[in-house]
Amino acid sequence: MPAFDIPFLGTLILCLILVSASYTMAMAMGAGSGRPHLLPSARWGTYATCAFLLVAVCVLAYAFQVHDFRIRYVARYSDRSMPWWYLIASLWGGQDGSLLWWAFLLGGYTFFATRWLRGRYTELQPWILATLMSIVIFFIVLMLFSANPFATYIRTTPGDGEGLNPLLQNYWMAIHPPSLYMGFVGWSVPFAILIAALVTGRLGNEWVRAARLWSMIAWTFLSLGLLLGCLWSYEELGWGGYWAWDPVENASFLPWLVGTAYLHSVLIQERRHMMRVWNVFLLALTFVMTIFGTFLTRSGLIASVHSFARSDIGQYFVWYLGFLIIGIALLMIWRLPKLKADNEIESLVSREFAFLLNNWVLLGMMVFVLIATTFPLLSEWLRGEEVTVGPGFYNKWMVPLGIMLLFLAGLGPLVAWRKATGSNLARAMMFPLGVGLMVAVLQFLFGARLGFPPIVEPTEIYDTMTGTILAWTAAVAPVVSFSTCGFVLASVGQEFVRGMRVRMSKGEGALTALTRLTSKGRRRYGGYIVHVGVVFMFIGFTGAAYDVEQESALRPGETMSIGSHTVRYDQPRMEADPNKRMIYTDMTLLDDAGKPKGEVAPAKFIYRTHPQMPTTEVAIRSRPAEDVYVIMSTVDPSTRRGTFRVIIRPLVAWIWFGGIVLLLGAILSMWPTARDLVRERETAPRRVRFSPATAVVALAIALATMLAWVGVASAQTDSSSSLHAGSVVINDPIERQLFGRLLCQCGDCARLPLDTCACGWADEKRSEIRELLAAGEDPTGIQESYRAQFGAKALAIPSDKGLDRALWAVPMAAMVFAVGFIILVGRRWQRRGEELHELKTAATASAPSELRYESRLDEELERFEGDT
Amino acid sequence: MTDVLPWMFIIVAGAAMLVALGSLWLSLSLGLSDQALGDVRAQLTSDARRALVSEKDALLQELGDVAFEHDAGKISDQDFEELNQKLRAQARHLLHELDEGAEAFRDEAEALIAERLGDSGENA
Repeated sequence: MPAFDIPFLGTLILCLILVSASYTMAMAMGAGSGRPHLLPSARWGTYATCAFLLVAVCVLAYAFQVHDFRIRYVARYSDRSMPWWYLIASLWGGQDGSLLWWAFLLGGYTFFATRWLRGRYTELQPWILATLMSIVIFFIVLMLFSANPFATYIRTTPGDGEGLNPLLQNYWMAIHPPSLYMGFVGWSVPFAILIAALVTGRLGNEWVRAARLWSMIAWTFLSLGLLLGCLWSYEELGWGGYWAWDPVENASFLPWLVGTAYLHSVLIQERRHMMRVWNVFLLALTFVMTIFGTFLTRSGLIASVHSFARSDIGQYFVWYLGFLIIGIALLMIWRLPKLKADNEIESLVSREFAFLLNNWVLLGMMVFVLIATTFPLLSEWLRGEEVTVGPGFYNKWMVPLGIMLLFLAGLGPLVAWRKATGSNLARAMMFPLGVGLMVAVLQFLFGARLGFPPIVEPTEIYDTMTGTILAWTAAVAPVVSFSTCGFVLASVGQEFVRGMRVRMSKGEGALTALTRLTSKGRRRYGGYIVHVGVVFMFIGFTGAAYDVEQESALRPGETMSIGSHTVRYDQPRMEADPNKRMIYTDMTLLDDAGKPKGEVAPAKFIYRTHPQMPTTEVAIRSRPAEDVYVIMSTVDPSTRRGTFRVIIRPLVAWIWFGGIVLLLGAILSMWPTARDLVRERETAPRRVRFSPATAVVALAIALATMLAWVGVASAQTDSSSSLHAGSVVINDPIERQLFGRLLCQCGDCARLPLDTCACGWADEKRSEIRELLAAGEDPTGIQESYRAQFGAKALAIPSDKGLDRALWAVPMAAMVFAVGFIILVGRRWQRRGEELHELKTAATASAPSELRYESRLDEELERFEGDT
Repeated sequence: MTDVLPWMFIIVAGAAMLVALGSLWLSLSLGLSDQALGDVRAQLTSDARRALVSEKDALLQELGDVAFEHDAGKISDQDFEELNQKLRAQARHLLHELDEGAEAFRDEAEALIAERLGDSGENA
């Protein structure tokens, strides 16, 4: 144990950060309020704050490395047997440390933003710095008064720590949370730029241009974080899926939805100088959602497999959220006159209107997820009854919305800005629609033979008309989804071909045309590539409709068949390292002729510090067509008999591939132009050039390294996963539907439905229900008696009556109202837009004094084309 | 690695602490004097010009996009004419504004050159 007092030093540094950030904020506000000479002082104060944050993280990291168990956080999240890399990952493994990590990343963003701001946006700068410092202050206050990572034990210091939760001891822990935090924290910079614009009243396109790259960086990291979260869930949690609609997963999905809406909507402002209020609202909402998400994760108010322990920091977040919402609302009301649009929508058949529809769907999804996530809290608050909203609810409602969004991703690029003529649009849509239709026909003809029937068996979540409609929507979703994927791919492909043709008509070869088209229109074509990535991901999501699973108990040498696969259990095998014992079961996949075609080894890991929590290590054989996902439920050491659950998951690999394409598209759209780089050299000569342009290059390298790591890594590479120990057997569709509606009540896995939970309690309950069904009891009656026995929270999906109906009725009503509003207002805008357009055309014609610039403009255009 | 890592954290923390204290000192000394006022004023002027240049670039980009969309058959000839004229008028206006703004810079540059030449003349 070190001689000097690390806990005291750490707390002292937190106090120093608070002082430094408060001082900097005061200086920045002074600079923004008529004392511009204070700006350099505020900039240096910002650097000091960022450096103090680095000191604090290093001190905590040091405490972990030297096992300073005087610090409560170190003792709770590490032990002496943990290797150094898990000791580093422990920094963000628990509540207090992750808050420090949040603040540290914010310090990193703030440092780069401050460097980048040097010599730019001088009027916005003081308020950007002040806003960023205010966020730092909030997190430091939180730590000092409620979650100090340097807090010590009041009595004796333990000899060894409790160790990091086995679930977190894997390589995903090193990359998933940091990338997600980078996404969350990243939105602070565009938010700060927005606040600066609101305070100064500079609400033209200046702030939009300033925030553009920072928003893209945050969005890219958030997307990466979500993707890695899916991979973590799929490979580590061992339940067979990649997205469980857990409240904490939803918490990171909410800002992504709003942020995506903003990235589309802001294009309208840049291009047409409209939607200013809406863009301010969307960007502010994105930031509020990141804080709300952090609140959901930290407060422990909603049960989740991810959440930290219930603590009192929730109240700080509630106050901060309240302050943010009121503050932003007041600023917006104050600046409303300056947020008036220069133009109006001139036609409902235009790119602008397509983006509005895209925003409608994205925000509709956000409202659905937000209400469903907070519904358990609302229900408890309003009527004192706890309920649970399980994945079944989300899966049913999100499918049609997701497909609508996908369709718009294909439609948007086909529609012209301002006003598309009917004939132009019809001509543009002909090919993509034809491809979509052809995909549907092909699926009807050959799908069933290939294992991808166009329509799947409907499963109802409610015994009402709504349930039937939803069930049939989900049943036809595969064919609609695949054909929409075809439509979008054809639409994007057609855009590339059209662009190439234009360039080829000027004498360029096909390859040169494609390269120049993409390199000169990075933002546009990067965006299209992002859409292609989304299509690939949807192909993967649609594959979930064809999942097959089976459970069998085998002795060594015995086989089980599932789909077109035969799996042979060879032998159990034990290995050990200083941290854990590992029990593997070697298995071989056989082809039709009985020849081996692959090997898998699902396992159980028993950690030294958590012997009561054996973890299940899944084994996955991944191919583009399907994944074979093998879970070892139990193995008897004396008889060597094992119980195995095998799931065939078609097309899952497309999700990861699509995710990579999406990230590459995002990087391409941010990639700096030669002009950007030259301008940076001019701005900061003879200095290290930290700027978004260089940041994007660094980001690309970091992502490539990360993806390479993920590619090399595989399930079970020193990983751990869920705590399941039993098995799941489902005999028929009635059982599947019923088990899917009932949640396990064993106490350890309260959120898992009986069709997924593999614990002993769930197994017993399934047997009981099976007997009742065999005795001829009605599934609805069984469900009602389950509810009567365990309460409303035992149902995976609240009923479709009374207040429960609000769960879907409120967001649906909001969406219907919103679309009606958009169309009505759109029509009004259209009329006003036409008048405005005529007036502006007249005004444009009367500017003859500047005609001498005509040839200069042509020269500038030529030079601009060459530079980009 | 286990032995080296704690020292690495100490070294980084120590260096960061020095940077933090140094930055804070610089910040305080700059805050207490108004020697940076001239720099900030100059920055405000060049900032305004940079905003205009940035706006001009956005307009040039938009002009290029509109021409591209017209060539790709997405915008009708009539719409293209209207839009193109409007954007060109805006761009001409911006070029005019930039030229007017450059006058002040020219005077300043000439004064600086004269001052520099005067200095070297004196030194010689």
